[in-house]
Amino acid sequence: MNEILNVEQLTKTYGKKGEKQYQALKGVSFKLQKGEFVGIMGASGSGKTTLLNILSTMDKPTSGKVFINSQDITSLNKNQMADFRGKEIGFIFQDFNLLENLSNRENIALPLALQNVKARLINDKVEEIANKLGITQILDKYPAEISGGQKQRVASARALVHNPAILYGDEPTGALDSKSATELLTTMSKLNKEDQVSILMVTHDPYSASYADRILFIKDGKIGNELRKENQSREDFYQAIIAELGRR
Amino acid sequence: MLWKLSLTGIKSRFKDYAVLFSGLTLAAAIFYMFLTLALNPSFLKDSVSLGYETTQFVFSFGLVLLAIITLVYIIYANSFLLSMRKRDYGTYMMLGAKNRKISRLIFVETLVIGILATLLGIVIGIGLTQVISNLLISQLGLVIHHFVGFYFPAVLWTIIFFAILFFLAASWNSLKLTKSSLISLLHEDQQPVHIMRHKGLLLFKAIAGLVLLAVGYWAMSTVQMLNLTSIPLALVTIVAGSYLIFASFFTATIDLLRKNSNYTFKGLHAFSLGQLKFRINAYNRILTIVSLLFALALGAITVGLNFNNLTAQNLESQYYDIVIPGDTKPYKAELKQLGVTDSKSFSFKNNNAHVYVSKDEIIRKGFKAKLFSVKNGQAHYTEITLNQKNFAKIYSTDFDTNLPRGYGEVTYVSDAKFKQVKAPTRTATVYKVADFLKNWKAISKLEKKTLNAKTERYWNGASPKVFNHQAAMTLASGFEFMGFFLGLAFLAMLASTLMFKVLSGASGDRPRYQMLWKIGTRTKLLKQSIAKEIGILFALPAALGIIDVLFGLQFFKLLLPDPYDKIWIPFTIFIVLYLLYYLLTVKLYEGIVLKKD
Repeated sequence: MNEILNVEQLTKTYGKKGEKQYQALKGVSFKLQKGEFVGIMGASGSGKTTLLNILSTMDKPTSGKVFINSQDITSLNKNQMADFRGKEIGFIFQDFNLLENLSNRENIALPLALQNVKARLINDKVEEIANKLGITQILDKYPAEISGGQKQRVASARALVHNPAILYGDEPTGALDSKSATELLTTMSKLNKEDQVSILMVTHDPYSASYADRILFIKDGKIGNELRKENQSREDFYQAIIAELGRR
Repeated sequence: MLWKLSLTGIKSRFKDYAVLFSGLTLAAAIFYMFLTLALNPSFLKDSVSLGYETTQFVFSFGLVLLAIITLVYIIYANSFLLSMRKRDYGTYMMLGAKNRKISRLIFVETLVIGILATLLGIVIGIGLTQVISNLLISQLGLVIHHFVGFYFPAVLWTIIFFAILFFLAASWNSLKLTKSSLISLLHEDQQPVHIMRHKGLLLFKAIAGLVLLAVGYWAMSTVQMLNLTSIPLALVTIVAGSYLIFASFFTATIDLLRKNSNYTFKGLHAFSLGQLKFRINAYNRILTIVSLLFALALGAITVGLNFNNLTAQNLESQYYDIVIPGDTKPYKAELKQLGVTDSKSFSFKNNNAHVYVSKDEIIRKGFKAKLFSVKNGQAHYTEITLNQKNFAKIYSTDFDTNLPRGYGEVTYVSDAKFKQVKAPTRTATVYKVADFLKNWKAISKLEKKTLNAKTERYWNGASPKVFNHQAAMTLASGFEFMGFFLGLAFLAMLASTLMFKVLSGASGDRPRYQMLWKIGTRTKLLKQSIAKEIGILFALPAALGIIDVLFGLQFFKLLLPDPYDKIWIPFTIFIVLYLLYYLLTVKLYEGIVLKKD
């Protein structure tokens, strides 16, 4: 099997021993195949953010293991974690998280610059990804000078420029208008189909989720149901998601 | 209820408040120390009696400068306070607290913090004044009297000055916060960044800045030609030049570096440059002020320490350390302890018009003297042994300081003529000791003994060298003390101002560092980037300040033998202290921006 992500019995408990403890994750397990587009849905407080933080090496689990490309990321030390994030993970945030004092080009180049890639190679890679995402025209502008939709494209370019093993989206359409949101989701979908980019997207928006191949529903720190798109149209899948959400 | 909230707000950010509070306390302490010095006439009259008027002028000038920098400092410290509390105030307002109530809360909060800091500052100031003055007096061997830590008028004026400042700051805070919208209070850090793009203008500013600085430095170095016009000319051109340089030259340099993708696309270089460019635009004014204050402070310390050279030069100018008229037996014990290396006696006769000394005897016994000459506009003293050849030059030496004064003109005659003078023959003995500086206090005691002995009056004392040394020491000590005080006070203020300017931007910078961490930047690299960035913000004004001083010292050539002598001592002291401020700023800044959620 060609697994990109393998999560085994993940738990996370907040609060020290003797104090009042809170279990945010209560044994989460799932797998993500290479080239899959998986959505994770859940209400506020369901453990979505905690899960994503652990999967992206920003936090450590209390128990359980996470393998990305067969490497156990829960056993890494702080520096290794940072390096791993920088090399293997791409991240699109809800509020873009672009650095407003850098040009868009410099923003996109950042992950490569951190890995000390040669300048000329960086330039080529930035041009290539910008071309793919249709943002070549705005490369030398600053984030403050472009629209929200364009900002999220720049952020996507930054997330993909270093060819990460997996792309995480944390409510990537949360701050976008509906037109820009659709554009972004179409682009993500296209990257997934054409370039085999593996995507894990956390959202509570059924419309965004309907672009995924498979949806895991997380509730009270556990994975509940799972929905597969199979051969449905996106619209039918959307209805199925709504139905699933209404069931709870 | 709101008061309770306010208190918990302060408690939860205790560390930040501690920094702010200690900064304000320090400002009050320094202001108090300076006032004690400047307002205390008995200290001034005693220590710097020779230049009392000048000194008072220097002090009032220093006081005005200190007041201005304190004002600037309070403004920045205040904006730091405001940046910390904005979100809390916004939350209170969101919860439905009335505008008027919030505004009163802010007002009282600022005022209470200010007044507490002032009072504590004065207490610390009293202690510090005592400690520092004792330290300076013992370490530098200064001669300073009438200086005590507590001086009531200084206490009073410090309280009045700071009360007014904090009252203004409090009014400003409450006005500003109640005038700004709730949304902007809650999301202050998310405001768009203004980007400047005028290449031509930038170039023009950079060139104008360089030209103005050059004119300023030229004015300083040609003070002989320009006379007093050089001060205002240099002041205006250097201030304007520094501002333009910061506003343009460094921005242009950063732009140039950014164009080089080999440099930019390496680690966090792009990020650091972006931060710096963005900062320097916002920091123009403060960097200018800091560079000027840096120059003033460093200049004050350098010039102050240089006055020490006056005493050294004074010691150089005289060969013999002790002169004892008549019988030396009563002083045998003391002389033995002083470690005499050379002693010679000579005879003289005096009437009402002349003091006669035998030239032949002086040459025969091989008396030594210091010959005065001027080389390159500076005084030089050469040791000579008097002989037939050089005897004509005796009037350019210090030899006559060994002779009695007040009897008339000194006349050197041959042995034969000396015998013919109708007056009793008297003798005097001169001594050279191994270490004058170590023994001058003992020599001074010996001098008092000879004065008390009821021999015929020779002159004021047994050692003109000690007398001159003491006079020079008093003058030098006063200036040295003042230079140190002024310099340290300015340094503390300017470095704290810069520190608070940096720190008040920290909460806004935090999301950027968090984001860099999220996309996989090692914490170590982030720390390096912070150290570099703040380092440059500290280094730029320091570099300009040092250049200012190097040129500015030209101005003191009129007053001091060599203003550049041993310049590394004050520079080292100063830079070490400045570095400590830098390290503190970096640590505090890291604490704010790298803190995890």
